[in-house]
Amino acid sequence: MIEAARFWAIVVLVVAGLFFTFVSAVGVIRLPDIYARAHTASQTDTLGAGLALAAVALALGWQQASVYTVLLLFFVFITNPTAAHAIARSAAETGIEPVTADSAADGDTREPSTASTDRNSSDDDGGSDVDGGETA
Amino acid sequence: MVADRTLVPLSETVTVRQTVGYAVQSGLEDADSLEVHLVVALPYDAEVPEGKQQVEEAKQLLSKARRWVTEDAGSADVTVETAVLGTERYLFGPRDYADIFEEYTDDHDLDRVVLDPEYHPGVTSSILQPLEHELESAGIPYDEAAVERPARHERLVGEGTERFDRYFALFWISFGFYLVLGDPTYWFDLVTGVAVAGIVSFSLANVTFSFPLHRIGSPVRTIRFAFYVPYLIWEIVKANVAISFVILRPSMPIEPVVTRVNARVRSGLPLLALANSITLTPGTLTVRANDQRLIVHTLIPSAREDLFDGALERAVRFVFHGRTSARIPSPRERGDAEIVGGDEL
Amino acid sequence: MIPSSVSIEEIFLLAAALFVVLAIMMFYRAVAGPTTQDRLLAVNVLGTNTVVILALLAAGLDEPWFLDVALIYALLNFLMAVAISKFTVERGGVL
Repeated sequence: MIEAARFWAIVVLVVAGLFFTFVSAVGVIRLPDIYARAHTASQTDTLGAGLALAAVALALGWQQASVYTVLLLFFVFITNPTAAHAIARSAAETGIEPVTADSAADGDTREPSTASTDRNSSDDDGGSDVDGGETA
Repeated sequence: MVADRTLVPLSETVTVRQTVGYAVQSGLEDADSLEVHLVVALPYDAEVPEGKQQVEEAKQLLSKARRWVTEDAGSADVTVETAVLGTERYLFGPRDYADIFEEYTDDHDLDRVVLDPEYHPGVTSSILQPLEHELESAGIPYDEAAVERPARHERLVGEGTERFDRYFALFWISFGFYLVLGDPTYWFDLVTGVAVAGIVSFSLANVTFSFPLHRIGSPVRTIRFAFYVPYLIWEIVKANVAISFVILRPSMPIEPVVTRVNARVRSGLPLLALANSITLTPGTLTVRANDQRLIVHTLIPSAREDLFDGALERAVRFVFHGRTSARIPSPRERGDAEIVGGDEL
Repeated sequence: MIPSSVSIEEIFLLAAALFVVLAIMMFYRAVAGPTTQDRLLAVNVLGTNTVVILALLAAGLDEPWFLDVALIYALLNFLMAVAISKFTVERGGVL
């Protein structure tokens, strides 16, 4: 009984972790600029990794290795936002302009070609090289 | 033809060269010619023997600095004046330094003061912050030189007990970490763990804790942090679900907006905790954290509302300052949250 | 009840395989990403994925020492992201 509960708990955790990582992958491909992608990247770092590692810890049971898993998760939680912040900040300092709601009100990247040409015509060329070049 | 007139107080620091360079460069930016007054304020009475030596050293520093100014000025029109201040007065606190600088600026009709971030006259500890405060109340415009610090000036704060607390805390933290990775029942791991933890705590204690530890406060904070983690995870789960809905919708109704939030948490560890928590929550991303001013990129309106409601900020205040100080108005209510354009980045 | 046809190890191995597929999806951004930071972000997420894959393999193959590799990988992943983003800002400067 306990074994069955554990089995299904592990399956649910792994599937949920896969789901959030999938959403994150879709987001990294679909979203229009580096700042927006950083949001969805943190989904992998938090729930994607968190749920999958929780499943591993549950499977390993009460032993040294599951302490490792918790440590690993703790480490990912501390370092990854710092890395995401460093990346976003370096993007800001190299002068990459974010696509904001008012500048991209017309094209939510559903129609990649028109959205990018609209933006190019309204912005100066500072914004054009930021454009995601969506093909997904 | 505008002339900029600048006062630069000097002291023997690692950043004094860069400070002089900054003063010349920033002075020539908005004026055609520059008059730099280099001064050394001495904390000693010039009459005593050490005082004589101090004056000698001050004069050497001034002549070095004079050469630096001419080097940096190039062909620009720069006049240099040097002076040793405080020879007939005993300077003690930041108030005295501010007074003597005020007197000097009034006498010579100077526009502004450029301060060395490591400014460190005499043997007393760094007086930069109180000095800035005093200059502000005296109404003298000052500018902290933008320098890159080649080496951090280590403050030897605290007496024996405080240093002992740091070594003690870091020793047990690193020993515990070692045993988590190793085997706590195996004698070899225990012995090597003690050795490694000892080396780590003696070499890194002053780097790890840049703030004084509190014997009751620090453990209590750790316990409160343990309460904070489940709350943070709950916030992360909510935000993850919200973001997932937005991304998986074919129309993808994102609304990226750059906002500025002035957080009411102390710089250092509390600000790090808040900025990292904001970044860890999908939908909000800290792009810059200058002092208390956070530039946050938000992806969807609900995440922005949560940010402006300041729940995370309150939780971080709870962790570091206790329950009572957690009850503050949200950033929206106190007017510390605003939507800014992308140019702010 | 536990289905008799699949064992928990197989589930972990299957999940690891699916994570690899997702990592390949993210690899698109690492190749296509118009700016350096896009690529860096994609590689950073790939690194987190790799850590998860290593942990899943550790459970699936019953090789707990894989977790040591995962821990070091997470460390290096963080250092890589910070170092490169610092380098892109002060190009030519010391890291």
